[in-house]
Amino acid sequence: MGLFDATQARRRQGPRGHYDMLLMVAAILLVSVGLVMIASSSIAVADGANKGAFYFLKRHTLFISLGFLCAVVAARTELKTLEKHSFLLMLMAVIMLLAVFLPVFGMRINGARRWLNLFVTSFQPVEAVKLILVVYLASYLVRHRDGVEYKLFGVVKPLLVAGMVIVLLLAQPDFGSSALVIAVTVGMIWLAGARMRNLVLLGLPLVPAIAWAAMTEDYRMKRLTSFLDPWAHPYDDGFQLTQALIAIGRGEWLGVGLGSSVQKLFYLPEAHTDFILSVIAEELGLAGVLFIIALFAVLVGRGLMLGLRGVEIGQRFAGYIAFGLSLMIGLQAIVSIGVNLGVLPTKGLTLPLISYGGSSVLLTCVMVGVLLRATFEINRAIDARAMGPRVATDGVSVPLEQGEPA
Amino acid sequence: MKFRADRTPVPSRRRGQGPSTRKRMMLVVVLLGLASAGLVVRAFDLQVVRKQFYQDQGDARFLREVPIAVSRGTIFDRNGEPLAVSTPVMSIWANPPEVLENDDRIPELAKALGMDPADLKSKLEQRSDREFMYLIRQMRPDRAQAIIDMKIPGVNAQREFRRYYPSGSVTAHILGFTNIDDRGQEGLELAFDDWLAGKPGSKRVIRDRMGHTVEDVEQVREPQPGRDITLSIDRRIQYLAYSALRETIQKFDADSGSIVMLDVHTGEVLAMANLPEFNPNNVRGSTPNDRRNRAMTDVVEPGSTMKAFTLTAALTSGKYTPTSPLIETSPGTWMMGGHPIRDTHNWGTLTPTGVITKSSNVGAAKIAMTLDTDLMYSTYKAFGFGSSTGSGFPGEAAGYLPVGRSWKPIEKSRIAYGYNLNVTPLQLASAYAAIGNGGVLHSPSFVKGQDNPAQQVTTPEIAGELVKMLETVVAPGGTGSPFAAVANYSVAGKTGTSHKANAGGYDAKGYISLFVGMVPASNPRLVTAVVINGPKTRAYYGGVVAGPAFAQVMEGAVRLLDIPPDNVGRWYAGGPSQGGMIGATSMPPPAADDSAAEETVP
Repeated sequence: MGLFDATQARRRQGPRGHYDMLLMVAAILLVSVGLVMIASSSIAVADGANKGAFYFLKRHTLFISLGFLCAVVAARTELKTLEKHSFLLMLMAVIMLLAVFLPVFGMRINGARRWLNLFVTSFQPVEAVKLILVVYLASYLVRHRDGVEYKLFGVVKPLLVAGMVIVLLLAQPDFGSSALVIAVTVGMIWLAGARMRNLVLLGLPLVPAIAWAAMTEDYRMKRLTSFLDPWAHPYDDGFQLTQALIAIGRGEWLGVGLGSSVQKLFYLPEAHTDFILSVIAEELGLAGVLFIIALFAVLVGRGLMLGLRGVEIGQRFAGYIAFGLSLMIGLQAIVSIGVNLGVLPTKGLTLPLISYGGSSVLLTCVMVGVLLRATFEINRAIDARAMGPRVATDGVSVPLEQGEPA
Repeated sequence: MKFRADRTPVPSRRRGQGPSTRKRMMLVVVLLGLASAGLVVRAFDLQVVRKQFYQDQGDARFLREVPIAVSRGTIFDRNGEPLAVSTPVMSIWANPPEVLENDDRIPELAKALGMDPADLKSKLEQRSDREFMYLIRQMRPDRAQAIIDMKIPGVNAQREFRRYYPSGSVTAHILGFTNIDDRGQEGLELAFDDWLAGKPGSKRVIRDRMGHTVEDVEQVREPQPGRDITLSIDRRIQYLAYSALRETIQKFDADSGSIVMLDVHTGEVLAMANLPEFNPNNVRGSTPNDRRNRAMTDVVEPGSTMKAFTLTAALTSGKYTPTSPLIETSPGTWMMGGHPIRDTHNWGTLTPTGVITKSSNVGAAKIAMTLDTDLMYSTYKAFGFGSSTGSGFPGEAAGYLPVGRSWKPIEKSRIAYGYNLNVTPLQLASAYAAIGNGGVLHSPSFVKGQDNPAQQVTTPEIAGELVKMLETVVAPGGTGSPFAAVANYSVAGKTGTSHKANAGGYDAKGYISLFVGMVPASNPRLVTAVVINGPKTRAYYGGVVAGPAFAQVMEGAVRLLDIPPDNVGRWYAGGPSQGGMIGATSMPPPAADDSAAEETVP
């Protein structure tokens, strides 16, 4: 009876989407853990810098709040709006990446030009570029599906766009983000059906380029190799990593207790940003690390699963968006955790949704908002299919695909 | 959204496309899953399997064993008044590299420390490879806190204790002082350092990288605070002695001086003052010369004060009594081995007592020549001359008494009136205390109630006779009268004046003026030795220079110690308060002099 009523109601109102609950809960839990851990890890640093013990916590809360608002807006914006403006967005992204090299707008911090001076605050374009590139690639892959699947040139074009972004990122230099962008681009194109052979063919010239980039700048090479044996120079190259490993080792199974980290007391640099996982590992132990990895697994897993459903039912743009953003968040998390655990070279990558960092927090929230939107639209399409093939409202086409599981 | 591709299906694509995405997705998921599993394995390895290594590395970085400062024991005077106390202070230290990282704050820091910014910076740079450097030590806690409140990275404070001496320079030479690490350096602070210092404890703490202690982990060693000590010194008498000495030195424009007061019955030092002095609260402003406890470290030739012991030997020999035989001292000089021994006047025929009363060098020499050398030597030796008093005071001099067998006749005669040997003022006071104590010599000590080794050095009868002989010195006609007289108390004592020895022999113009005496003579309780080195104006005779200081200290001391007067209504010729001091402004009356005016033997 109830089922019938519901069906009746649905027929009247058209297909309904819903945001993926698990993904949303995972994201909110990650942000919450992040908030608590920022509070714990930043007090000493903030107090030591005479900014007041809660300086970073306050700012982080502000960015989370802003991020939440942006995520809500993003989650309520039809993806087609993004799709329509993807080229414009990409143009903006490239302009922003170029602007960091301009004298007034660009800011040079620690020898890297990664920041835009917005006068009231500074902004890291790379965070926006990550999102925009995913949107652009998704729209490209939808538009040039055949080309991507069969022609070498179909793969070359998106790779060229991504390559331009990467070159600009390397010029900053931001090696970590470059690697991430390469991985996500290749991943998206590959998931969209490009032939392995074509990708490998195009990837070959990249290898010497990356090698050249790594070798030419001495500090990159050092960073790339020093993680292998941080104890060789524990007070020099290996300082940060040895301190991180000490923090992690101190955590044992359940950690030394929330707030009790010693390593955050100026021993571990960047304890509230890139190396926040080490503090989590010290204070909450292996249990805390597993919890964080599990939350990311849920977030990324749901994103990829729904993306697959989306592609399979023809919601290709939403599907590719879900692929790209899940990969972006998932890979960044893996790299960040890997860096903390000393299995990857130390790169300037934050732990998404957890680490402190204005642009990163804000844009990761927006990414999650867009990802949620994608799940919403995919669920809406599924719902529409369940209502029947002929019902299509609000411009949502609900094509049937053969071979799609019932 | 347009799905043109769907509407114009290409068969060949459709064949592989659907499953292909799913398969590729599976591969991606598997790869991500493997990466995550790898991370989990790595985390397990770090946090469970190999945790000990990382924890040890961590402990090595932030576990520190730090000392727990303990306060040094308080030094009290015999009445429980504090003479040396430990007060908590703060020392400011820096972690040089950290301060240099924030070098914009160096000027601010330098100002607070009262240093030159460039100077401070260069000092920090010199030590930039270290993690610890004192910036300033032992500040007042409130001022240190003000610097800590500036929150300059790398600047920290640690608690320490600093010695404070309420009596300042008055007790400076006795107490000595401690160094910046609170260890005794001189005086009793050094002598009793082990007792006073205590043992600093230590604890294991977790320090953050800035050096702040964030958590106490465990106590490694229990801190043992230093133990207190109660001295035999009476702060009030000490002050009397100090001010009397000061007045005397100023009045006679002397180079230096010492006053020592002993308790006759116990050998305890009640007062010991020296000039020049230093401020133990600011040792840096003094010279080593200021810091010498001259009463123990400096030796003088005792001059006529030695005659008391020559007479002790004479009485011991049985050849002499206080009144016989008579000794001819005319004409006031006596040629001895080609050198004249001179008296200040021609005293004619003197009894042995008269030799003391008038302080006749000729008399003393003539008596000595009749005595057995071994007897003389052993008598002097018994009274403690030529050997350390056993007080345990750091740097105490033993004095010098040539071995009796080696004495030539001329040497023997000169030793009889106090040349060719040297003594410390404390030795002199101690030897006189033995006379006042019925012939029992105590090792002088600085600790109240300590059972000092005692030794019978002459018979009580001879000691009693000597006291009576010494009483005549302060009686009318004696060399110490009226300068050393104490109102309402009988005084037994001896004046002394000696030429200062210098590199070439003796200084014809340089004198040492002495007075040693005891009060009350009927039952001696206190002995005081006054030694004034190098009086330059007005006078130099021991009675005139040292006598009034003796009387002044004794007058105050007998009152403070409630010693009953034994001389009320008897002869009294005016102590210092009756104008005895004024008498010193003119040249002393000829009858009241003693002298050792002669040149040294080649």
